[in-house]
Amino acid sequence: MKPAPFDYRSPASVDETLPLLGPDSTVLAGGQSLVPLLNLRLARPELVVDVNGISELDYIRSDDGPLRIGAMTRQVTLERSELVRPRWPLLHDAIVFVGHPQIRSRGTVGGSVAHADPAAELPAALVALDARIHLRSAGGARSVAAGDFFRGALYTAREPHELLVELEVPEQPEDARSGFAEHARTHGDFATAGAAVVVAPGGHAAIALFGAGPVPARANAAERALAEGADPREAAALAAEGIDGEHRRALCAELVRRAIEEATE
Amino acid sequence: MRISVDINGRAYEGEVEPRTLLSDFIRHGAGLTGTKVGCEQGVCGACTVQLDGEAVRSCLMLAVQANGRALTTVEGLAADDELHPLQRAFHEAHALQCGFCTPGFLMSIEAFLREHPDAGDDELREALAGNLCRCTGYLGIIEAVERAAREMRGANVQRD
Amino acid sequence: MTAELVGRPVRRREDERILRGRTRYLDDIDPPGAAHAAFVRSPFAHARIARITVPDELAGLIGVITASDLDGHARDLPVQGFEDGRVSEEGHPLLARDEVRYAGQPVAAVLAESRAVAEDAAELLEVDYEPLAPVLDARRSEDTLTHWHRVRGDVEGLFGSAAHVVRASHSLPRLAPVPMEARGAIASYDQAGDMLTVWVSAQDSHRQLAGLAAVLGRPEDSIHVIVPDVGGAFGSKGAPAPETMLVAAAAIISGRTVKWTEDREENFVASYQGRGMEADVELALDDDARILAIRARIHADLGGYLMPTTAIPAHTTAMLMCGVYDIPAADVEVVGRRTNKVPTGPYRGAGRPEAAYFLECTVDVAARRLGIDPLELRRRNLIRELPYETALGWTYDSGDYRRCLDLAEELVEPEERSDEERVVGTGFGMYVERAGGLFETAEAELLPGGGLLVRSGSSPHGQGHDTTFAQIAAERLGVALEDVELRFGDSAEVPRGVGTFASRSVAMGGSAVVQAVDALKEKCARVAARLRGTSPDEVDWRSMSLAEVAGAEPGLRASARFESELVFSSGAYGAVVEIERRTGRLRVLRLAAVDDAGTIVNPLLAEGQVIGGTAQGLGQCLVEEAAYDEEGNPTFASFVGYSLLTAAEMPPVITEFVESPSPLNPLGAKGIGEGGAIGTPAAVANAVADALGGVRVDPPFTEEKLWSALREANS
Repeated sequence: MKPAPFDYRSPASVDETLPLLGPDSTVLAGGQSLVPLLNLRLARPELVVDVNGISELDYIRSDDGPLRIGAMTRQVTLERSELVRPRWPLLHDAIVFVGHPQIRSRGTVGGSVAHADPAAELPAALVALDARIHLRSAGGARSVAAGDFFRGALYTAREPHELLVELEVPEQPEDARSGFAEHARTHGDFATAGAAVVVAPGGHAAIALFGAGPVPARANAAERALAEGADPREAAALAAEGIDGEHRRALCAELVRRAIEEATE
Repeated sequence: MRISVDINGRAYEGEVEPRTLLSDFIRHGAGLTGTKVGCEQGVCGACTVQLDGEAVRSCLMLAVQANGRALTTVEGLAADDELHPLQRAFHEAHALQCGFCTPGFLMSIEAFLREHPDAGDDELREALAGNLCRCTGYLGIIEAVERAAREMRGANVQRD
Repeated sequence: MTAELVGRPVRRREDERILRGRTRYLDDIDPPGAAHAAFVRSPFAHARIARITVPDELAGLIGVITASDLDGHARDLPVQGFEDGRVSEEGHPLLARDEVRYAGQPVAAVLAESRAVAEDAAELLEVDYEPLAPVLDARRSEDTLTHWHRVRGDVEGLFGSAAHVVRASHSLPRLAPVPMEARGAIASYDQAGDMLTVWVSAQDSHRQLAGLAAVLGRPEDSIHVIVPDVGGAFGSKGAPAPETMLVAAAAIISGRTVKWTEDREENFVASYQGRGMEADVELALDDDARILAIRARIHADLGGYLMPTTAIPAHTTAMLMCGVYDIPAADVEVVGRRTNKVPTGPYRGAGRPEAAYFLECTVDVAARRLGIDPLELRRRNLIRELPYETALGWTYDSGDYRRCLDLAEELVEPEERSDEERVVGTGFGMYVERAGGLFETAEAELLPGGGLLVRSGSSPHGQGHDTTFAQIAAERLGVALEDVELRFGDSAEVPRGVGTFASRSVAMGGSAVVQAVDALKEKCARVAARLRGTSPDEVDWRSMSLAEVAGAEPGLRASARFESELVFSSGAYGAVVEIERRTGRLRVLRLAAVDDAGTIVNPLLAEGQVIGGTAQGLGQCLVEEAAYDEEGNPTFASFVGYSLLTAAEMPPVITEFVESPSPLNPLGAKGIGEGGAIGTPAAVANAVADALGGVRVDPPFTEEKLWSALREANS
């Protein structure tokens, strides 16, 4: 399966990149999602813009409070980050479920978010953490709340001329705890369903379900119930309500329950 | 586009199209056919090589992306005549049958063990899940890797 | 010096070059200046072809071949039939003429300077299809392509008067073989010498050669077939593929060397599939739970055409429907029907897993119905004395079924404990499988230094024949293992034989090696006797070396053609499984695999075969299914749609060999290559049913199915 022909550019900075973006070009980051599509000829861009040379987008920092992750940060870098793991453990717990080590060594956080596979772990974690997605274009910059960013399966708020440059994750309360659970047919396979949960005493609860629908979705009713003291099973059942298919509902409820219990144990 | 890639310490040059996959450059451009191609989707792991020591799927990289970079393939795993402990362990434990998946397994797990020398058996199994084998049923591979990990840990302790 | 090598777990000589990356599989061969082939394949399950429009000039395009270009130059693939039944003679065309019968069927071949350009050109080819309604349910198809029916004994009478009649229906969906190396071929035609050379990733050179000769209408001695290293096959590279024939035809037509490396998408969609059978089984039993008679109707989903070996698996299933039991009367019928899917064919087990599954699941249903322990029911019915001729007319040569079952029970450590979180079940499956048969060849040659060169008609693709046959030959001749060299796979180098499939290599290929080496040894003894002035049996091999013999008479050689009736391996598998109540998730906690393949030449390699087969059997149970959607589109065109198990899913497997030597060959060997795939699904299915309190589910045992079944079981 060989790709259809395309032109190729590999800019070294964001500024060099922006003029190249548009409806006929595709950004190549880690390649773990894009290249299979190219090989199957399901993606046929005229121009591939390889952003792997943009070192200015490879960073993880939190100098000013929130966690800021550059889009070109490799998933394995996030996995190993000693800055992230203690303070935003949900990100670590989610990222270890992304494929296999060989995928994470090339895959990028920006790429995963921009690709927006319904079964992807990182988007769900970002939705649960109320993250913001930063975009830049030749015309300026803007940011979108994670909850608004994912619009459909493989479809986001990013316009073709925009480059995803940073993920911004708010500071978490000190006593915030998180949990993550996912189910797949085999280890490392695409998730059939999963749940990312954050709870903090004082009434904060976030439950993001993924895999069951086209986008990761917050289970608002379940969050309210949990914040008001409902037990994990009740909250989980609420979270799964509205999911199509009895077994699917049962599976989702079970995953939410596990994630909540992990966060509250 | 003309590229130059360091593979196992030697420079290989070639003319490629942007769409040429790294796996095809390694195998047909550089003539190093030890690395195999099983799916061109990034699932089977047969094409796994190491880029600056990290295991990557060469079928999911464009050859041009490896320009000026350093790769290690299975041909570079053994130090001259002596086999790497992993290779020896695979042989002892009958961890290969048709052998098509073997280079990918070796390159994947060698990188993993370097990064996680103290990985427990469960962790090892999960690390192995990124490579598919249709012949062995994996139990021989698991045994080989556990054996090699122990040997490599022991060797490290001795060095200290 | 005769080292005892047979029976030893010798490590493989094959390994080093594999570990160092020095192998040469088909795609590793890069003939300079080769043209690359890609195929235009039908996107429709069933359609008429009105017209094909070849693209205009495209840089790098060499040519396009359609069916009309082949008229008069190539026949359709042949069809192998079976005895005593009816098999349609219409074979698979190389390229579709005016009709396509499955999605993925080759419609045109495109040659270009690179595979990428060939794919570019293939996309530009315009084919006018008129889609037709596909037939996807074999039971509803009106096209019967194969039929076999045998009745022995008063089946009707026995069913009529039986104390108990138990009926059960079972279904095994299609599976994709998925060898890690997909298929491929390279062909080169030397016009001056009229010699066609074909490299092909195949299970042997013989069937490829015969197929090329028949399809291209060439004499066999004008064809040279070379099988390089092969990355697994599992049955899927046995029968010649239409693409291989097309590569050869393209080489002749174009005058270029032509190379085709199948990609994974093609391999999923166009490689013939396994299983795809349903059966309605009835057992008549008396009050002591003795099985008096069996009736079975087997429905086979054969696909759009009969490929050369499509007819075989269902016939094998029928053959084995009495299993390990002493059943005096049987009525077994096979109906194979056309569907608009890729053809089925032999895939590891090739009919035997189906027989074991259909029978063993029904036996468990019977046990539950009669209120008797499933193991006890089996024990009351096991064949005790072998050789044994079944009601269907086949003779099992050797076996110890009771011992296999006892061992399986002991090793699996049955468990029943269930709690709020999970239900646990234990199940067993026994099997008998037909192996070997036909003939195999070998030539043994004494080399100048006293070493031994053996050319074998068998052909390895991962099984370790080089080591195994070297053990046999070295022990037989009395030389060191390192002094034995094996040759396989090249039609110019090895004697014409039958090949590698049906678990036949040691029993047939190994026995041919024995006979060839024995014959050579005799010749050596005569030379030695002449040199020493004694008689051949008085030669003192301590003071006489084979090097001396070789020096005195260079080029000593002997050949053998070993023929045999079928041998019958058998075994008993046990499984303990656990189903998570809340999700329906199935975990196989452990598996016990007891196989009787007669004499085991190399227990390390034999165990590798069992575990490999078991993993495929587990794949069938847990995650594998090659399903088509309602329009006949494959849902399994990539690893996204078709899952394989990883190392993380493998349970512990306890293996044990029972060795009942076969009287039918000098090694006493039967066959071990397929047992794991044969015994596992039945054992796991019965364990699942046990966990579900008797509710029966067919594989794959997805969570949805088990979760629903649990609710059914609890209501």
